[in-house]
Amino acid sequence: MGWAFVFFASIFELVGVVGLNKFNEQKTWLTTLLFIGGFGTAFAFLYSSFHYLQVSIAYAVWIGIGTAAAVLVNMVFFNESKSIGRLVSVGIIIFGVCGLKLVS
Amino acid sequence: MKYKPWLYVALTSIFELLWVYGFNVADKAWHWALVLILILIDFYYLSKACLYLPTGTVYAIFAAAGTVGTALMDIFIFNHSFSAAKGFFIGVIVVGVILLNLSDNAGMKKIEIEGEGS
Repeated sequence: MGWAFVFFASIFELVGVVGLNKFNEQKTWLTTLLFIGGFGTAFAFLYSSFHYLQVSIAYAVWIGIGTAAAVLVNMVFFNESKSIGRLVSVGIIIFGVCGLKLVS
Repeated sequence: MKYKPWLYVALTSIFELLWVYGFNVADKAWHWALVLILILIDFYYLSKACLYLPTGTVYAIFAAAGTVGTALMDIFIFNHSFSAAKGFFIGVIVVGVILLNLSDNAGMKKIEIEGEGS
């Protein structure tokens, strides 16, 4: 259960970051909702996950998945660099998250 | 002035750990108000740091400090069990996040140089 919460927290953090970028470009109700709502929901899920998981595990997974997902979204939708270095780094994060899931 | 950006990096890392700790212990309305203030201060210093230093560098340090800090919190404050295997995989995630952010910096530098040439 805690893992699902952390996963959703990462996804909503991503929504918040996309919202922040859009909000900086254009201040509308929709971009404000994406920005504030995204981060707000992310924090709510992160808080919920602390009831089930150790702080260090929840935090590491949250920051890892959040960062990797942001890069993947930028690669796929915003045509950012798909350099070997970035792909290998995302692979390392995924390896770390899976390993942590196995040992805890 | 030379050290100011790094002071912001240090402050954002410290406030990050304070609100994560707050999330774990808050149980009254005013606790939550305090946590909210800590989060806002944290983001303020984060954006300040990013004005002076590459975002990738700032975020890499921020993430590493948060991860190491929460691990220490687990061991010394919350007395949770902590194994070598957990430490190893947490370390792997930190390495991945740092590499990812640093490779983004390298990419940005290249764009800057190309931009100057044109």
